[in-house]
Parts: sequence; C-alpha cells; structure tokens
Amino acid sequence: MLSSLLRQIHLYLALFMAPWVLMYAFSTLVMNHRDHFRQWYGGPPPAPVFERETPFEAALPEGANPREAGAQILAALDMEGAFNATQRRTDKAIVINRLDPITPRRITYVPGSGKLSIEKTPWDMRAYLERMHRRRGYQHDAPAEDAWAFSVDFFIAAVLLWAVSGLWMWWELRKTRRWGWVVLALGFALFGLFTVTI
Amino acid sequence: MKFLHINRRTHLYLGLGLLPWFLMYGISSIPFAHGAYFEARDKASGLPLWTMRVDRPYAIDIPAEGELRAVGARILKDLGIEGSFGVSRQGPDQVNVWVYSFLHATQVKYFVEQRRVTVEDRRFRFDHFLTGMHARGGFEQESILTKAWGVVVDLVVVAMLLWVVSGLIMWWKLPGRRLAGWLALAAGATAWALFMRLL
Repeated sequence: MLSSLLRQIHLYLALFMAPWVLMYAFSTLVMNHRDHFRQWYGGPPPAPVFERETPFEAALPEGANPREAGAQILAALDMEGAFNATQRRTDKAIVINRLDPITPRRITYVPGSGKLSIEKTPWDMRAYLERMHRRRGYQHDAPAEDAWAFSVDFFIAAVLLWAVSGLWMWWELRKTRRWGWVVLALGFALFGLFTVTI
Repeated sequence: MKFLHINRRTHLYLGLGLLPWFLMYGISSIPFAHGAYFEARDKASGLPLWTMRVDRPYAIDIPAEGELRAVGARILKDLGIEGSFGVSRQGPDQVNVWVYSFLHATQVKYFVEQRRVTVEDRRFRFDHFLTGMHARGGFEQESILTKAWGVVVDLVVVAMLLWVVSGLIMWWKLPGRRLAGWLALAAGATAWALFMRLL
C-alpha cells in the first residue's frame, strides 16, 4: 500500500512538475556555460530598447517613495505585477523595472515631464531561463507572484520527495542493492571530496 | 539486456550517484527562496558576519576600465591568499576581490585613492554554505577540481533531462496510469502557461 502510494506520488509529481524540471535543467546549463553561450550568441543578453513614449499627467502623492510611485505608474499603464523601482540621483527620475517573465520592461518617469518612456527587453532564451531560475520569494504584492513563489517551494518539496521515494523504490529492488550501495557511496565520497577541497 | 531494462537502471543509478547533489540543490533552495527569514534569524544572533584580518597600506595600478582578473590575481598573490576568486569594481575608487571555498569566504577590498587594502573573513553560516554550493559552477577558475565541479553540474543537468525522458518512457509502459498521467502533464503545462501569462 505505502509502496504503491510512493510510486504514484513519484510519478505524478514528476509529470506535473516536468516544465519546472526542464526550466531548471536548461537554465543551469546556460549559467554553467555563460561564456560559451556569450560566444555562441555573439554577445551578452540584449539591453532594453526604446518601445514608446506615453503621456502621464497624474500627480504622484507628496513624498511618495519610488515603490509607491512605481505602483501608481504601472497601474496607469495597466502593467501591474512584480517590479522594482529606484530614483535616479541626477534628475530624480523614477526608474521602474517591470519583471515580466517574457518581456521585461523599463519605465522611466522624469517628474514634471508629463510623459513616460517605456523600453522593452528583446527576447533572449538564455536571459528568460536565467530570470525564471532566479524568480522566487514572497516579497512582491501580487497574488500571481506569491503563487509562483509557492510553486518554487512546492518544487523543493517535490525534489525531497523524489529523493525519499526513489530510495524506497530502490530498496525494494533487492537485485540492485549491491550496485546501488556502490554508486551511492561513490557519489557521497566525490561530494565529500569537493566539499573539503574547493 | 533490453532497452526498457537499461532505461530503468539508468534512471535509478543516476539518482543514487547524484543523490548528494540532488539533496544539496533541493535543501539549498530553501534559504534562496526564504532569504529574508534566514537573514533576520542570523541578525538576531548579534554576531558580526565579517572579521577584519588585515588593514594596511598597499599600492597597485588599476586599469580605468576593462577586465580586472589579472589585477585580482596579483593582489591575492601579494597578500598570500589562494583560492577561487572573482573581482568586481565598486566605483572608481574601490576594487573588491572575493575569495571563496565551500567552507570559507574572504573579501579583499582595495581602496585606490587611499592606497590601502583590507582583508575580512566571513563567519561560517550553514545557509551560506548551502547557497554557495548551489551557486557554484562555470569553468573560469584555474583549479582542476573547480572545473571538475563544473563538469558534475553539467552531469546533473544531463541527469535531469534523462530522468524526464526515462520517466516518460516508464510511465508510457504503464497503460493503467496513462489517463491520470496525461492529466498531471496537462495540469503542469497549463499551470506553467498561466504563470507566463499572469506574472
């Protein structure tokens, strides 16, 4: 009964989480070979490029911090979601990075200018993979963002469950125990060697 | 030996051999995903994170722009420090050299205007140990063992892809599990697509 349950959890969890597994695998490859990908693509991921300018007349609240101003500006643009915002020292401009997974945008507002400048980051597969790999945490005030953070926690739980249920299934296969111990011991020995030497 | 047998054994033995990495990546993702909690917890301990080891006059020419790795290597050699390292420019007046192993981290700061160098050691923290391992990779360091770690990271990537492929094959050979399997696959793909639309 327990064995059957663990097998089913192992299987269905893996089928459900397959997109996450593939994303984490390919993004790790990209990050582990950053220089190779840079040569392959002919340079680093592209910087944001000008998309459009749009009027913005709304007054920001007195003493609003960059985050509050950013939230108001994104709401006006109908671009709500995860973002970070800073204020440039030189001209007091509010610079907002809207952390869209597919097309991140940078919105700049110079107070008093009456307009917003919007730049978008051109599509680049390696940048997309790395963004998704690094996306985590409950710090944004957006339900979808919290749901994503929960999916990351869920993936962590899945990884640990795959390990435990995989060990259980191995132990049930008597014929594989001896070689299993050998491989397991070699893995831990190599890991231990790396831990103390590099 | 039949293909299906090889498929099952590949799935199993890759899992066993790479179990330490699998566990490390899983467990270390917790402090990454909940960094604020771990920072607050450590702050509450009241212990300083960095301890000054060296603070002395030192002079070296720093190029105005461009690659700093050679400069970093020279600074470390002059200070008698060895290990994997990275160099970064902290504005026009400061260059930092970050020297790290899984168990220890040191930060060297060179202040250009003051012609002064400081060396600070970081207190061991288990969450930093885990996240340091998680983030380690690449092939830019000179040490053979460090490059070997990069190779193992590649092996983990290959293993993840093989687990997906071999797992799909094993699932397909269980006709009684196909319908529920399709539902799980479709639910996962739909959830992913929704995230891409809503985030």
